[in-house]
Amino acid sequence: MSRVTFQSLILTLQNFWAERGCLIETPLDLEVGAGTMHPATFLRVLGPEPWNVGYVQPSRRPADGRYGDNPFRLGKHYQFQVILKPSPLEVQELYLDSLRAIGLDLTKHDIRFEEDNWESPTLGAWGVGWQILLDGMEITQFTYFQQAGGIDLAPISAEITYGLERLTMFLSRKASVFDIEWTDGVAYGPVRHQDEFEFSKYYFEVADIDLHWKLLDAYESEARRCLDTKLVLPAYDFTLKCSHVFNTLDARGAISVTERVGVIKRVRDLAVRCAQQYLASREELGFPLGRADV
Amino acid sequence: MSEYFFELLTEEIPAWMHDTAAGTLTQRLSKLVEELGGEAGGVCVNTTPRRIAFMLANLPDREADREIEVKGPPKKAAYDASGNPTQALNGFLKKNNAAIADVIDAGDYVMLRKQITGRGVDEIVREQIPQIIESIRWPKMMRWGKGEFSYIRPIHSVISLFDGRHAPLTIFGVASGTTTTGHRTLAPQKIEISSYNDYVTKLELARVVVDAVRRRHVMAERARILGNEVGGTPSIEASIWSQWQYLTEYPGVVRAEFRPEYLALPEEVLVTVMRVHQKQLPIRDAAGKLTSSFLAVLDNEGDPLGNAAYGNSFVTNARFADAKFFYETDRKRKLADRVEQLEHLQFQEKLGNYAEKSKRIERIVRELGGDEDALTAARLCKTDLVTEMVKEFTDLQGQIGGIYAREEGYPEAVWQAIYDQYKPASLEDSTPRTISGALVSLADRIDTLAGFFSIGAKPTGSKDPFALRRAAQGIVLILLKYKTLNVGIDRLIKLADGNDDLLVFFAERVKTILEQSFAYDEVAAAMEAGWATSLTDLANRVEALHAVREDANFLSILDSAKRIANITAGHDATTVSAAKLEHDTEKRLNELADVVASHIDDMIAERRYREALESFAALAPELEKFFDDVMVMVDDETVRRNRMSLLRKVGNAVMKIADVTKIVVDRRDYK
Repeated sequence: MSRVTFQSLILTLQNFWAERGCLIETPLDLEVGAGTMHPATFLRVLGPEPWNVGYVQPSRRPADGRYGDNPFRLGKHYQFQVILKPSPLEVQELYLDSLRAIGLDLTKHDIRFEEDNWESPTLGAWGVGWQILLDGMEITQFTYFQQAGGIDLAPISAEITYGLERLTMFLSRKASVFDIEWTDGVAYGPVRHQDEFEFSKYYFEVADIDLHWKLLDAYESEARRCLDTKLVLPAYDFTLKCSHVFNTLDARGAISVTERVGVIKRVRDLAVRCAQQYLASREELGFPLGRADV
Repeated sequence: MSEYFFELLTEEIPAWMHDTAAGTLTQRLSKLVEELGGEAGGVCVNTTPRRIAFMLANLPDREADREIEVKGPPKKAAYDASGNPTQALNGFLKKNNAAIADVIDAGDYVMLRKQITGRGVDEIVREQIPQIIESIRWPKMMRWGKGEFSYIRPIHSVISLFDGRHAPLTIFGVASGTTTTGHRTLAPQKIEISSYNDYVTKLELARVVVDAVRRRHVMAERARILGNEVGGTPSIEASIWSQWQYLTEYPGVVRAEFRPEYLALPEEVLVTVMRVHQKQLPIRDAAGKLTSSFLAVLDNEGDPLGNAAYGNSFVTNARFADAKFFYETDRKRKLADRVEQLEHLQFQEKLGNYAEKSKRIERIVRELGGDEDALTAARLCKTDLVTEMVKEFTDLQGQIGGIYAREEGYPEAVWQAIYDQYKPASLEDSTPRTISGALVSLADRIDTLAGFFSIGAKPTGSKDPFALRRAAQGIVLILLKYKTLNVGIDRLIKLADGNDDLLVFFAERVKTILEQSFAYDEVAAAMEAGWATSLTDLANRVEALHAVREDANFLSILDSAKRIANITAGHDATTVSAAKLEHDTEKRLNELADVVASHIDDMIAERRYREALESFAALAPELEKFFDDVMVMVDDETVRRNRMSLLRKVGNAVMKIADVTKIVVDRRDYK
């Protein structure tokens, strides 16, 4: 196996999927918890338009922060996200080929697809699939999207989400995420450790609770205003901002169990409306990317 | 005789679904084979993560020819006034390709007898198999591609062979063929299949062991060897196999190590992480202590480069690092200091928070006579719900509280009660070790049940989202085990302000549990004589009944009771006026009844139910004489009622133990 760095892994995956007809998107310039929330996934999986895309997405999960002390956990990690719509029958094989492209001899490793279904209450979305285990370690989440924004999907999209740090750590046999090489001679730690520490401290101890409750209200009403004026993409941006504020309040321990359910519902209502409006807007535009169902 | 072979190649089906699906499939295929005139025993179903395969052996080539009767229109409509066939009859004949001469008389209707030539079995199989396969109801279905079909996973290929020849059919739009592929990474090439035997052999060469049981045996043996190599024994629970044997196509096992420093964490945490989260097997040394070695499944023949060992160590270390972080965070705060936090943890929207629930548990434990230790346990029992460890490993609730209480120095009676509060978790599970544990568990469960019933959230049909059946079952098991507690279900319900529905709900659970050891009619008979005030008493009565029904004189108990029940139906009075008794026989029966009844009462008081039942049998000859000599159904109402009261009195003596008339016997057993 050739030497793998964080950066070389990204480049390999990007090239691999580009060669298989994927459009390479850029990360969403907002805080999101997963690549799924990028409009290139959440909105594009709706409706009949074919869509094949790959992109890196920095994913912020405030509650997962460990002040940079834990060698395996990060408050922000990077995902490589692939959407294939409609899901081709050979999608698992394509995925395995991407691992071969990274340099893995699969006859010398253990690869297993273990049931792991995905559900996002805030997005009104769920799917069926697996966590993909490489030698017992989860390196990828694989999901056949069934519903998004409360809408039954057809055609179905296959979502492949690689955990980039995990995969690099494993391939380069590093015991700590901070020891992996970003690129030759530059380790992940010096690049990102300060980030992990400061944001852990911020989300757990410092974030202004009152401000964030106000932000939640403000973003929510702005999202509604956009929806009312049929500006679905800005509305979706504000929905994502709500979601991140919710995660911040949650990590800060500022949301009780009862409130939690209420806030999730507020965000989901927005997401569902965005999904419906997006689908309607694409239909109005005559499905500019074509139809995969005819 | 023919063989049919089928394979569906799909994508990884969740391990936990295989056993049920294979069972359903076997059942349906057996039914089909029987209908075709073959032997149900010839059905052989195999599944691997990616395959559902089956073979039907010894099929007849054709269905048997047979004669069937087809009912036609009513005679009135079949013939007109002059006896000529009507349009209706002609239409019927035409549809059935028959002539008027074929019609036979069948009362009010006309009828045809038709010869049906059996069809070729291959044709029927081709027609039936797609239906059988497509109609399997998986617990969680999905769509794929264009989204037109719904199944467990996308379908890749289908093999359908009748006597080695392709028997074309289509499953969800996928046309069958005669080829499959081998192991996903080790032998992905196409393989041509000609029969079931050929399939098993060729797939084995292509690194797929088709039979789940064989995969299990190979894995078990490999696990034993890998354990031996480090001087230990893998702790294999039977339940692991329903996972392991469906996780891989090649039955591999690998040994890995975690960092020994993690052995300082509570054993329950280590075992749960490995067993539940990672589906790994811990290895114990000769003294039964956990070692830092463990086993994991491997869908490969071996691990010569140590990749799988490395990966499994890596992930388990990462899990344990997290657990260690949670453990150290948790230990900074004592359980007693967490009680307040429970106010912020909701139990159920309408049933308040866990602080309130804890108080209710404590009150019930006190009312049940719990001592200081039991009360302390009641106060602390829910505090582990706000620990990081339980937030991460929810299935360790209770156990974590118990471990932390032990480490904080609480006496055994306290920490074990916290530890065991969710026991028994199933019918097979043990009850709490100590009486304080039993009290906490009882109080917690009855509070949950009474609460959910009060807000109308009782289980319906197969839906029981709050596991209330299990909660009630637990109470029954504990009460049966802790006889000295002497608490009735009725009292428990009252203590928790439960409603009457709950009593009915419990009756069902009591019945289910006792029917595991006793016949249904014994349980029904004993419950008829009361159950809610004491399950111990109920159990004793069922046991006595069970023992005595084998005796030769049981028939006389039963016949007496039945005869009395029949003749006194609707009559409840038991007060006999001695002055109105006329015959010597009835006078004697009356005296004897009083003596026997008081004797039976004495024995019931001492719980000598078996002897009580036997002494009732002694009344039988006297009763028989009574029926011979005395007429009960006389015209004089006073006399009649008096005699019925006498019989009721005799009958009631035994009804306190069980309504023996509910016992179903086969008289031949008593000869």
